[in-house]
Amino acid sequence: MTLEPATLPEDDSAIIARLGRATLARSERVLRRRQFRIALVFMAPAVILTSVVLLAPILFNIWLSFTRWKKFAGLDEFAGFANYTNLLTNPSFSEASTNTVIWVTASLVLPVGFGLLFALSLRGLPFENAFKNIIFLPRVIAPTSIGVIWFYVYAPKGVLNAGLERVTGSPVDIGWLYQDNTIMAAIVVTYLWQNVGLVMVLLLLGLAAIPTDPIEAARMDGATPRQVFWHIVLPLLLPTLLVVSMLSIIAGFGAFDLLWVMGLGYPGRRTLSLSVYMYFEGFSKGSWAYAAGVAVVLGAITLVVTWLQAWLQVRADGLKG
Amino acid sequence: MKTLLSRAILGAWLGALSAGAVLADDVILTHDKPFYSAFLQAVGDICGFKEQSYNPPEQFKAFVTSSIASGQTPEIFTWWSGATFRDEMVATGQIGQLDDLWAELIASGSFTAASAEPFTVDGHIYALPLGINKWVMLYNPTLFAKAGIEGEPKTWDELMAAAEKLKAAGITPFVSTNQDGWRGFIWFEEIMIRLSPTAYLGLFDGTTSYDDPIVREAFQIWSDMYAKGYFSDPRSNQEVLDFASGGVAMNLIGDWAIGLMAKAGMEVGTTLDAFVVPNIKPDLPAGMIYEASPLMISVEGAKNPAVMNAMRCWASDAGATVWSETSGLFMGNLNAPAPNAIVPKINKFAVDNGAALYTRWWEGVPADLQGDSVAAFASFMLNPTMEQADKVMAQLTTLHDAYWAENK
Repeated sequence: MTLEPATLPEDDSAIIARLGRATLARSERVLRRRQFRIALVFMAPAVILTSVVLLAPILFNIWLSFTRWKKFAGLDEFAGFANYTNLLTNPSFSEASTNTVIWVTASLVLPVGFGLLFALSLRGLPFENAFKNIIFLPRVIAPTSIGVIWFYVYAPKGVLNAGLERVTGSPVDIGWLYQDNTIMAAIVVTYLWQNVGLVMVLLLLGLAAIPTDPIEAARMDGATPRQVFWHIVLPLLLPTLLVVSMLSIIAGFGAFDLLWVMGLGYPGRRTLSLSVYMYFEGFSKGSWAYAAGVAVVLGAITLVVTWLQAWLQVRADGLKG
Repeated sequence: MKTLLSRAILGAWLGALSAGAVLADDVILTHDKPFYSAFLQAVGDICGFKEQSYNPPEQFKAFVTSSIASGQTPEIFTWWSGATFRDEMVATGQIGQLDDLWAELIASGSFTAASAEPFTVDGHIYALPLGINKWVMLYNPTLFAKAGIEGEPKTWDELMAAAEKLKAAGITPFVSTNQDGWRGFIWFEEIMIRLSPTAYLGLFDGTTSYDDPIVREAFQIWSDMYAKGYFSDPRSNQEVLDFASGGVAMNLIGDWAIGLMAKAGMEVGTTLDAFVVPNIKPDLPAGMIYEASPLMISVEGAKNPAVMNAMRCWASDAGATVWSETSGLFMGNLNAPAPNAIVPKINKFAVDNGAALYTRWWEGVPADLQGDSVAAFASFMLNPTMEQADKVMAQLTTLHDAYWAENK
């Protein structure tokens, strides 16, 4: 079948010759402007919302950190970097930073480790969905409620000590949430209980996305289950693990609710993490400018971690490809 | 029918909302004590204001500080007396003076001039009292009788002997708690004024250091009392329950707690009474800790007749009577009925003995040091050894000395 010459579409040069270059350029500009305006209308709610609710408060907070605002005065006094130099020399800030690093590390390693373990163990088991639902369930409870529940689990006359008394047969009177050497571990266990379900679900999704061909090929070549896991499953799961890890780290830096609620009777509560320290300095002591400085440092760390995640994600995708 | 029903539901919902809602023209009393809301509103109903609470206290502080910083000072609001009132709040220049109102109140005989002292800065008075409370030892007379204790302890030795008897009878003598995170200083301040009021007051201006031998002696006495098993578990956050349930015999607290204990089932005279803690050094004059809670107005509020009428009504015999009857608290108006039998008994003790009134530690120390210092006291209560006391003293000395080096 042949096409009639008249039905052939005009090529670009023919159109340009017929309409003229300037006319075409003008109509394209008009079209682009119209499209831009339409796009702007569609984007406006998100742009306005992000600017008013997110960007403006962030910029305001950064500006606050360069003022001397403390309690009722100093909002209009420029302090330069005084708040930043103060926090770097303040032992409470160092203590809160150290605790944050411990908290972030523990709240990353344990949920990801146990989440991976559960995801691998539960796949294909009878009642898999029932187990998954049970493990995920704590995630739907509000963190402050979880904090209150576990506060009483760890109370001197709480469930945990009562259980230990039954096991050991002797009185147990440990103040889990009152001692320097137990409080962080106790809260991390609660955090693990709350979050391992979510990590498990995300990793199960990652596992489901792994192609079966390379695994079957490896098995046919005589690879052991351990070799299949280390050399095929884990590398292919890496992008998901990376996302989960980064989400855990970011959540860890911002952790406040559990630490605040469960640390109620602990004398060192105000330095349990940088978020708690920031709240204490701002809301309790009224050192608003200083607290804004802590918030900026915390935000900067989270920004770097997010950037690192994006960079590693690109590399992991490259490896996968 | 459906439309009628939905309109009725909407109407009822809006009605319910507006019943408790605060309108633009209302005079608002802002505070951080939701447990007083009903009592404050009972006074508000006759005095023409609406109460509005913010809780936890951090939220209240944030609201007040940001309001003042932006020039939008609340019309009527509560705060704390002492250093934060004098050096920070009044210094903003946004608090209205109440000199004329106080002159009326003193002239009418409803308030003594002394009641205004905690709210006086540079000769001007900036607040009415929400409460004027003395810190006493609440005790359970039934438990005292059960342990064979006759009468209230008049000396420190008698107090310790009573504690020993209670312990022997299987009753914990004293409540110890860090509930709500601020109670750590209570026993420290009480022991300090029983040892040396001068040294105690020196803590407020840096003339007494926290490594002073008197401070160490106070910690030693406190530590010994823990070692003897006189205190309940400081990890409990059930202060009212521990005491009201009859598990502990004595509770050192402000007389504002009497109402709370009565509401928890204790009966004044039968299971609840109070005495002033005796001095450890017997030659010291009688004295007790007091706490005054200010009720302030903004400079703009002072120009508003509705606000001034609300304040005048608050301090009037009628306002004070409603406050006393609903809350069980004493605001200082001498014509109002006593909220309970204990308050007049304590006041009589103060008058008869010419008792000196010492500012509570919380109000006395610089506001910047309150949180860190009270946490240090709490850490001692959780580990009440002299080894820990030395650490706490060192920590407090560093903290306070650094402050006074900068702010003398």
